[in-house]
Amino acid sequence: MNAKTVVKLAIGILVIGGGISYFMYQAMQSSWAYYYSVDDFSAAGTASQGQSFRLAGRVKAGSVERDLQNLTLRFTLAGAQAQLPVQYKGVTPDNFTEDREVVVEGRLAATGVFQADTLMTRCESKYQAKVK
Amino acid sequence: MPEFGQFALRLGLLLSAYAILVDTIGRRWQRRELLASGRNATVGCLLCLTAACVALEILLARSDFTVQYVAENTSRALPFAYKLTALWAGAAGSLLLWLWLQTGFVVLAFARSDRDSERFCATARAAANLVAVFFFLVLIFDKDPFSLSVTTPRDGAGLNPLLQHSAMVLHPPALFLGYAAFAIPYAWVFAALRRDGAGEPPIFFPLARRGALFAWMFLTVGIALGAWWAYEELGWGGYWAWDPVENASLIPWLTATALLHCARTFRVGTKTALWFMVLALVTFSLCIFGTFLTRYGLVSSVHAFPEPGLGILFLVLLVVIWVVGGPLIVLGHLRPSTKAQTQGPGLRFVFWNNWLMVFLAFVVLVGTLFPFFSGLVSSQKITLKSDYFTKITAPGGLILLLLLGACPHLMRHGLGRSWRTLGAIVTAVAALAIWVLAHHLAIAYLVACAFVAINLVADFIQRHKRRPASDEATPGRASLRWYGARIVHLGVLLAFVGIAGSGGFDLEKQVALKPGERTQVGNFELVYDGLDAQHGANFTAVKADVSVYRGQTCIAKLRPAIAFYAQADKRTSEVDVRRTLAGDLYLALTEADSTTKLINLTIFLKPLINWIWIGSGLMVLGTALVLAPGLGRSRNISQGNGQ
Repeated sequence: MNAKTVVKLAIGILVIGGGISYFMYQAMQSSWAYYYSVDDFSAAGTASQGQSFRLAGRVKAGSVERDLQNLTLRFTLAGAQAQLPVQYKGVTPDNFTEDREVVVEGRLAATGVFQADTLMTRCESKYQAKVK
Repeated sequence: MPEFGQFALRLGLLLSAYAILVDTIGRRWQRRELLASGRNATVGCLLCLTAACVALEILLARSDFTVQYVAENTSRALPFAYKLTALWAGAAGSLLLWLWLQTGFVVLAFARSDRDSERFCATARAAANLVAVFFFLVLIFDKDPFSLSVTTPRDGAGLNPLLQHSAMVLHPPALFLGYAAFAIPYAWVFAALRRDGAGEPPIFFPLARRGALFAWMFLTVGIALGAWWAYEELGWGGYWAWDPVENASLIPWLTATALLHCARTFRVGTKTALWFMVLALVTFSLCIFGTFLTRYGLVSSVHAFPEPGLGILFLVLLVVIWVVGGPLIVLGHLRPSTKAQTQGPGLRFVFWNNWLMVFLAFVVLVGTLFPFFSGLVSSQKITLKSDYFTKITAPGGLILLLLLGACPHLMRHGLGRSWRTLGAIVTAVAALAIWVLAHHLAIAYLVACAFVAINLVADFIQRHKRRPASDEATPGRASLRWYGARIVHLGVLLAFVGIAGSGGFDLEKQVALKPGERTQVGNFELVYDGLDAQHGANFTAVKADVSVYRGQTCIAKLRPAIAFYAQADKRTSEVDVRRTLAGDLYLALTEADSTTKLINLTIFLKPLINWIWIGSGLMVLGTALVLAPGLGRSRNISQGNGQ
């Protein structure tokens, strides 16, 4: 391998690698969401308005309210101490029930209600370890 | 019975550790009796695993809830078939199944006693038994399928009703068959690297290739079944969510696809050989890593550092594999080949495909692990939403289609001034223009698909006009392989048509309807006729009657439902779908009020989606055709390279 090939190779790797990294960085930046438990989210305060978040918590028993007329689901996401009202429009996952671990993605509205655009139940399929 | 199972596992551990020892020593000292002992120990290990599997099946069939695994995954009311398939319903059982299958493959492939191959097989067995030892350790000390319940419950927890579906019963064993079969190319690589005599070609290459093909075939089956189940059962209208569990099976599939293309052009001492060896190790490592990732909640947990416990053994295993295998590959590649081999200019197209596959696998892996990495560098976990994956894989898929169209021909004939080269450039420019200027990626995809289709037809015509002389020696076999490969490519093409159609032209609508009300979606008009309740054995269901009109004619009556399972406090949405090759009309009943009869209905139009399933079927069928010619042929004569 002579010097010329090395230079060529280095430039090639830099250009392609740089391009790919930039591309991946772009894709990541526009789609990242902070992942909090409800407790940590409430402790972090209101500085977080408008940003995209992913929150994990439990559906508080007795809090689920389905508004069929407006296709809206409301429930309270509860952690060990904190609680947060959540509003969601969309397809409810099958295994969504009260007192279950769920993950929501969305933003905190000025009213203090978390507007979720995705609602996921922790996939119960056999692959998952039980999360303590 | 549980004690018997535990004993079998411990005996298996001892046997596989012993087999590594005698196989390695026997090979070095050239002692045939030691190699025979290693062979017997591996077979003994298989017997132990068989005994353990049978023991667990008996416990499951008898609903013996003193065993924790039985209590957690079955219940008395569960149909008998589901009791038996609960062998792979939990982590412990599936690891056992995987190890059993893997050891079975290893015995089939590498338990040979003839003088020419026994030393080669000894190394392969040692490499495979190394993996087995780690699996046994996890099975015995962490995920013990035979551990006893603390208190024996009166009834088991049962199987999640969502998983009581034929696709979900077959999906895990298909994946495990795939994962386990990758042990063959993996073990072969170690044996091929440890061979004596620099110029001697590694034997049994067809075995490694067939192992990889077989594994790829079952991985495809597993992934397709999983996607189909998600579409049919989960009621959200999609089939792929870039969930870590799904990604864990896709990543090795991608690298395995590259592996197969290297196997096709394998020659000793060339770049393809290097690619093949690296990819074989990478793919097998990714299978193990994916299992570790998903089984130990590395990604799903909010906590920065989930406690992997003894799952860390899997990571240790990966480190061992690469610490041993990596230098061997480097040394093996640096060793001067006696015959400098050139493989023609066409080969670079194989490498393009490889790089693309590896890149896609890397992107998906990074995205899947991102929450974990972010937890390492900061106290705050950051996740990537699923659009990260689509943003990168969508253009990646487009490039893949262009390669799929052009490369099979260019590989043989080089980058000449044929219409195919020109066609590839024109298609690439057109697709890029449609994507960038018109922002319609799906149309760009369909244009690229048309290009692939034209190329496939042209390949077919050219083959029948003049058959290359090289095929004359074994016409039937070569021809089956040729058609098999083309059918796989056709399957990929059709799957892409389905992915582009259902992703780019889909419609989704959520409506609240009272009886008698109607709604318009695309070309369809839906009328909600009424709601009725139905009582089953262990569930109550509400069903909505919906008539589908196109123009004035009623073309279908659909009845989406919600089933409530009393015992498990669960509900599942039973979707109803009008299926045509042009696309699906997919109705999911999201909410229903049985007194006012008000319902919430989610309606999806998914154009062309069924081509995904047809395409997957063709991929499997094509692979089976490629595999078929070698059946029943003695593998001993199949020495050497390539074809």
